[in-house]
Amino acid sequence: MARLGGDAAMTMLFVRLKLRLIRGNLRGDLIKQAGFVLSVLAAVVCALGGFALFGLVRLADPDTALNVGIVVFTAFTVGWIVVPLMIFGVDETLDPSRLALFPLTTRQLALGMFAASATGPWPLASLVVLAGGVAGLAGGAGGVLIGLAAVVLQFALCLVTSRVITTALSGALRSRRGRDVLAVAAVGVVLLSQLPNLLLNQGLPTDLGALLSSTGEVLRWTPPGLAAHAIADGGLVGVADLVVLAGVVALLAWLWIVVLRRALVTPDVSNQGGGTVRRSWIDRFLPKGQLGGVVAKELKYARREPRGRVAWFTAVVVSGIIMFTLNNEAAPVGLFSAAGPACLAALLIGVQSCNAFGIDGRSLWMNAVAFSSGRDLRTDLAGRHLAMAVIAVPVLGVISVAAALLAGNAAWAVPAALTAWGLLGVALGVGAVTSVVVPYTLPERLNAFSGAAPGQGALAFGSSSLGLLVTGTLALPVVLPVLLGVAWVALLAVPYGLLVAWGGRSMAGMVGFARLPSILAAVSRPV
Amino acid sequence: MVEAVRTQGLFKRFGQQVAVGGVDLVVPKGSFAGLVGPNGAGKTTTLSMITGLLRPDGGTIEINGHNVWTDPVNVKAHIGVLPEGLRLFERLSGRELLLYSGRLRGIPLDETERRADELLRVMDLVESQDKLVIDYSTGMRKKIGLAAALLHNPGVLFLDEPFEGVDPVSANTLTDVLRRYTESGSTVIFSSHGMDLVERLCDWVAVMSRGHIVAQGPLSEVRGEQTLNEAFLDLVGARGNGDEGLSWLGSAGTPR
Repeated sequence: MARLGGDAAMTMLFVRLKLRLIRGNLRGDLIKQAGFVLSVLAAVVCALGGFALFGLVRLADPDTALNVGIVVFTAFTVGWIVVPLMIFGVDETLDPSRLALFPLTTRQLALGMFAASATGPWPLASLVVLAGGVAGLAGGAGGVLIGLAAVVLQFALCLVTSRVITTALSGALRSRRGRDVLAVAAVGVVLLSQLPNLLLNQGLPTDLGALLSSTGEVLRWTPPGLAAHAIADGGLVGVADLVVLAGVVALLAWLWIVVLRRALVTPDVSNQGGGTVRRSWIDRFLPKGQLGGVVAKELKYARREPRGRVAWFTAVVVSGIIMFTLNNEAAPVGLFSAAGPACLAALLIGVQSCNAFGIDGRSLWMNAVAFSSGRDLRTDLAGRHLAMAVIAVPVLGVISVAAALLAGNAAWAVPAALTAWGLLGVALGVGAVTSVVVPYTLPERLNAFSGAAPGQGALAFGSSSLGLLVTGTLALPVVLPVLLGVAWVALLAVPYGLLVAWGGRSMAGMVGFARLPSILAAVSRPV
Repeated sequence: MVEAVRTQGLFKRFGQQVAVGGVDLVVPKGSFAGLVGPNGAGKTTTLSMITGLLRPDGGTIEINGHNVWTDPVNVKAHIGVLPEGLRLFERLSGRELLLYSGRLRGIPLDETERRADELLRVMDLVESQDKLVIDYSTGMRKKIGLAAALLHNPGVLFLDEPFEGVDPVSANTLTDVLRRYTESGSTVIFSSHGMDLVERLCDWVAVMSRGHIVAQGPLSEVRGEQTLNEAFLDLVGARGNGDEGLSWLGSAGTPR
């Protein structure tokens, strides 16, 4: 009994630790506090809304209701696996290695971390939504009784599964390579969420009802499916479902303890060197001096820096998606459907340059101590533009050809590509100016939910929307006629783009050199 | 005495807090100068302002007679910097970092490669020259940072805590290189907590406390008859009282 009391006290300690971490994280930062209040409000709204919506399932026929329940329960389990992986490191209670030095038994640790991960607005919100399953599916007192047990077990299943995965991967997540891979994988997840949208847009012969019932049938025998079925059944079969589910939860909990025990004594490998890189032969073909040095560095960064890879990857894939959707909406709209996606891609690629120094971050001092005039800064920007053009010009060319072929006239590729290249030039010129006027810190650890350091979110948003707005306005005279079908205007696009890019660099060089210390400070905020 | 660095009334405040409150630092040319002081004394802020990375709120800075903030062209090519915190271009390999640094300063590629190879050899980084800097240890980062700071053969070198977290072997390499460098008449100014190290290496010392310079001059004058550590503790007025309290600490108590 004494031991149980000790466990309970230790578990409470973990819960208090988690609460204290949440509070400590908010101290003295008004924007974070406001963000937290919003997040709590959002959690409450999601919880109540989710509960109500889930409850409304009752109005559907029992089979459909059951299938919806199964899908929702499965989605929650998957969400609990994916989301903590994306934001790993935000929550110190999640990293067992920080607790390795305390005299805790594995059992205390497991219970404590379980309780700690159930603490917080979003875990509680998901518990409430899951409880909506009882309102939506249960029939009769037996159903409610079994349902409550099922919801608790389902919640435990979410937590334990998420714990097993994060703990098993915690070693990899702490290493540099692991985080690099995960950063790029995050984009994959975001894109996957677009898949249903794409499928629907493609006008596939999808009968929603049939899709739902077949999905439900498949998922019926997974643990979350068992939970949903138990609620709907409410009888002996439901009890059997619950017994199996409880077994699965217990098995996962045991697995978690094993993994945890191993993770605690496995050394942190994050600082043991990675492999070597090949020396680049491209350098030989680049311009001499400062300009070539910057181009070489930027090309390496586009390849090796996960944030760079993510940005390029997103730009290309998003334009791909737009390309397909544009071409599937009823009537063909001529040159627009070839030039439109190409210009959009140019814009998306160009936005990257709105905060050109952000990706250098605190290492920008190396440039700052070397630059002795506005001319040096201009050369730096020119190098960045050239590096971007080296990648973007062929990419935009390929997108233009693909879009023109999809739109049904290969010749449209020429005006489309010319316009896109011109637009890219305009975006680069505008980006050079925004980079020196409104620079901000990019967080080191990329996650899917934030693009700037805490407190600079508004600045980041302002910078890119300002950049887009000005780019759009400046590019309008050459882009609009082409989009409306006046193809010859495309001939003017590239010279115009080069001119704007040159002007932007000159202005940025003049304004930016005196601002170098401020730029350095703005891009090296602690994250 | 020819001065490599002279500041007058250097001043910087962050909000309400005065980080540097009127610093008149003088470092003679060719000296190996140590800037010492407790945490928060303003050493890093001072060095950042001198090297043009942080704009001062007041005062002037001259390096070899040229004003850092009004005449950067005549200053920046002649100084080398290794700031604190060691953020380098993490996704370049050590060798690529040196090549980038050289090309950024307009040194021809062939010459840069020659210097980089020599520096890598001296710094004992040949084996890891093709590894990404992000995977380097602290000692390796300080060494590659110093190599990048030396690549363009600056006349004055500013190093912020160059020996912090560096293993003895790497520290030895760093001091050897720096000694050779000052013997040729170039100037090194570095900040440090390590009094023994400063005493061993430096011929010129400046002591900072709470944003002011409380003593500066040749090492022998600043420390007088004492060791530098004793002189330093007297100067910053911080003789500890480690005798009070802590009655439970030690073998008399039980661990719990």
